[in-house]
Amino acid sequence: MKPIHADAPAGTAKAAFDPLATRSVHDWAHSSKLLVCRVDPTGRFVLAGAIDHTIQRWRIDTGARTAFAGHGNWVRTLGFSPDGATLYSGGYDGRLISWETATEKPAPVRTIEAHRGWLRGLAVSGDGRRVATCGNDRLVRVWSAGDGKLIHECGGHPQMVYCVQFVPGSNDLVSGDIVGNIHHWRGDNGRLERKFDGSEIHNIIADQAPFGGIINLAFSPDKKRLTACGLHKPTNAPAGNRRAVALSFDWASGAKFPKQESLRKEMDATMWRAVYHQDGVMVGVLDKEIGFWKQGEADLFYLAATPSPIFDLDLHPNQMDLFTAHFDGHVRGWRCGAG
Amino acid sequence: MGRRLFMGEFLSGVAAAAGTSLFSHPLGAGEITKRGKSVVVIFLDGGISQFESWDPKSDLETGGPFKAIPTTVPGVHVSELLPLTARQMHHMALVRSIRTDLDDHGLAKNIIRSGRTTRSATEYPELGAAVARGLERDGFPLPGHIRTMLEGEGGRVNNAAYLGPRYAGVSVGAQKGGIVNTRLPDGMTVTADGRRHDWRRFANERLSGRVRTAEINAYTQCYEQALRLMERRDLFDISREPLSTREAYGDSEFGKQLLLARRLVEQEVPFVEVNWGGWDFHHNNFEFHLHYVSEFDRHFAWFIADLAQRGLLDRTLVIVMTEFGRTPRINTGFGRDHYPKAWSIALAGCGIQRGAVIGRTDPKGIEVTDRQVDHRHLFHTYLRAVGIDSSGEFDVAGRKYPAADPAFGPIEELLA
Repeated sequence: MKPIHADAPAGTAKAAFDPLATRSVHDWAHSSKLLVCRVDPTGRFVLAGAIDHTIQRWRIDTGARTAFAGHGNWVRTLGFSPDGATLYSGGYDGRLISWETATEKPAPVRTIEAHRGWLRGLAVSGDGRRVATCGNDRLVRVWSAGDGKLIHECGGHPQMVYCVQFVPGSNDLVSGDIVGNIHHWRGDNGRLERKFDGSEIHNIIADQAPFGGIINLAFSPDKKRLTACGLHKPTNAPAGNRRAVALSFDWASGAKFPKQESLRKEMDATMWRAVYHQDGVMVGVLDKEIGFWKQGEADLFYLAATPSPIFDLDLHPNQMDLFTAHFDGHVRGWRCGAG
Repeated sequence: MGRRLFMGEFLSGVAAAAGTSLFSHPLGAGEITKRGKSVVVIFLDGGISQFESWDPKSDLETGGPFKAIPTTVPGVHVSELLPLTARQMHHMALVRSIRTDLDDHGLAKNIIRSGRTTRSATEYPELGAAVARGLERDGFPLPGHIRTMLEGEGGRVNNAAYLGPRYAGVSVGAQKGGIVNTRLPDGMTVTADGRRHDWRRFANERLSGRVRTAEINAYTQCYEQALRLMERRDLFDISREPLSTREAYGDSEFGKQLLLARRLVEQEVPFVEVNWGGWDFHHNNFEFHLHYVSEFDRHFAWFIADLAQRGLLDRTLVIVMTEFGRTPRINTGFGRDHYPKAWSIALAGCGIQRGAVIGRTDPKGIEVTDRQVDHRHLFHTYLRAVGIDSSGEFDVAGRKYPAADPAFGPIEELLA
C-alpha cells in the first residue's frame, strides 16, 4: 500500500502512516484484564482501566507504571481535558472521578456519583469546560468541568446508554444506546435535536436481552461522517458467534453509508471501538486484530494481529502510534509505519 | 393440546413402561398430610451463574462486576441483580455447595432432574414424575405433572421411566382462550362428540374383557385425560385473570408462565415446571445476566410474594433449578463456561427451613468448602419437603423401586 502522509501535531516528527508496516513497539503488563485505554493529549502517557478497579498509567518513554485507585468497580471509560492535565474516569460503580494526569501520587480530585448503576461512557468537550457521561440509568448527563455541577440531564433513551461524544467544535452531543438508538442532543438546552436509527446493529436474543447496539461513536476528521461501531449477524449470541461492524451516517442528512466490516476474514468479534486517523482511515478493534478501512470502503484493507483479545484502542497524537488494551492485562503499542 | 401429538408422544412413553401396571398405587402412608401440596420447578436451562445470582463473590478476578446486597434474612446476601428477590428471602433457602461433576448440558440435566447418576434420560423417573406419583390423589381431574408453555401444540414427555406415562410430563400452554386444539372442530356438536366417546369406551370395555395390556390402558387414560383437559381449558387461560394481576406478572413469556403456574398450584396440581431456556452465556456473561437476571427477579419475586399472600406458599415448594453453574474464570469473551464443581440453587416455600443457607464455597467460588451435596441429596430433599418418604419405594405392578437413590439421603438441616 502507498503510505499515507500524516501532518503530525507541532512538536512531533512528520512520518508516513502506513498500516501495512504496523509493528509492536511497546508491551506493558498489568495483572488484571483491561477494558479501556487512552493516550493523553500531550502524548506522554497511556492510561488503561482494569477490572481490578484501578487505572494504570504508563509513561510512554520509559514504561514506568503508576496505579490510580479510587473506583469501586470495573473502570470502563477514560477521557482528558484538552491540555491533558486532567484525567476523567468512569466505572461500573457509577462514579465520574477526575484526577491529575501526571501526578506522582494519584488521588481523586473530585468524585461525582454520576449514574445509578454502571457508568459506561464519557466525553470531554473540545473547550474542556464540559464532561458528558452516560450509563445504565438510560441518562446522558453533562457536568461542568470547573465545579462539577450538573448542567444538563438528557433523558429519552429507552434503554441503557453505551456511549457519548461531543460533536466536534460544539457543545452538542451524540449518544448511543444498547438497542441501536443514536440521539443528538443540543448543547445549549440539553434537548433532543434528532435521532439516527442504528437498530440494524442491534439484536434481541430470545425475546429477552439486547445484544449489540451502539457500543461506540466517532466522527470522521472532516466531521461529515458519524460512525457507530458494534456487532451484527449473531448466529448464536450466548456462544459469541457474531461479526464486528461499523455503521456510518452522513452527519448533515442522516443518510446511512454501507456498513464496514471484515469481509476478507470472517471472525467472531465485536468492534468495541473505532477511531479515525486524520487522513480518514478508520481503525477498529476486531477481537485479537486491528482492522484498517479506507473511508467508504466496505471491507478492510489490512489486519494487524496481536497476541490477545482487544477491548479498546486509541491513537497517539503523533498519528503514527496506536495503543491497545487487552484481555491478558497488557497495553500494547503499535507503530504504523517505518518511523 | 394437539390430540394426535399427545397420543404419539404418549405411546412412545408406553414402550418405555411396557410390563408395568398402570394401576399401581401411590406410596402408602401419610396421604392426608400430602393433600394439596405442589412443587413448582423453575428450570433456568443452560446454567445460570451462581456468581450473578445466589453466591456473589467480591473477589476481583472471579467475582465479576456485580455486588452483593443484603436480604430480609440477616447475614444472607445475594447478587445486586436480585433486589426484589432479596426482599422475599425470608420465604426462601439457598444451597451453595452443590458439586455434580458433569459439565455436558444433556447429561447434567439427566442427573439433576432424576436425582440419580445416570447417562440416560429415561432410566429413572424425573422429579416431576416422582412427585406426580407420590402426591397422586384419586379422582384428581388434571395431569399431575405439567410443563407450562405459551405456544406450540404441547404433548407428552418421556420422563417417567418405570413409573409409566401416567406420570410423565404434559406440556400445556397459556394461549389466550386456554390450551390449544381443545375445542371441537367446526361441524362437530357436543352430542356427536359424546356419541363418539361412548362408542370408544364401549369398544375399549369389550376389548379389555379379553385383552388387558399396558398399551391399551395407556390409550384409554390418554383419551380420558385429554377430555378432562378440554373440560378444564379455562384454567389455562390466563386472560381470565384480573388485569391488575396480569400486569403484575408482566407481559414476558416467563411472567405469563408463572401466572399459569400459580393458577395450577391453586388447583393443587402436584408438579408444575416452568422452563426458561438460553442461560448459557459463554460470551458476554455479564451483559446477558444483567438483563436475564433482572427479568427473572421481577417476575420471580412477584410470584413468591403472590403465593405467600394467597396462602399457597405453605403448601408449595418452589425450586429454582439449573443443570450446573458457571466458571469462576472469566473467558476471553467476558463469558463464563460450564462449571459443575461448586454451584447453587434456591428454594422457597413448603417443607424447608426458610432463611437457611446450606454450605459454602471459597472466596473465589472455585471449591465447595463446607457441606458438599449433589443431585442425589437434593432429590431426596425435594421429595421430603412435600411429605413424600424419599427412603420409601414405589410399587409398580408388584415390583419395588426406590423413590430416590437409596445410598443417599436428604439435606436434613434444610428441612422444616
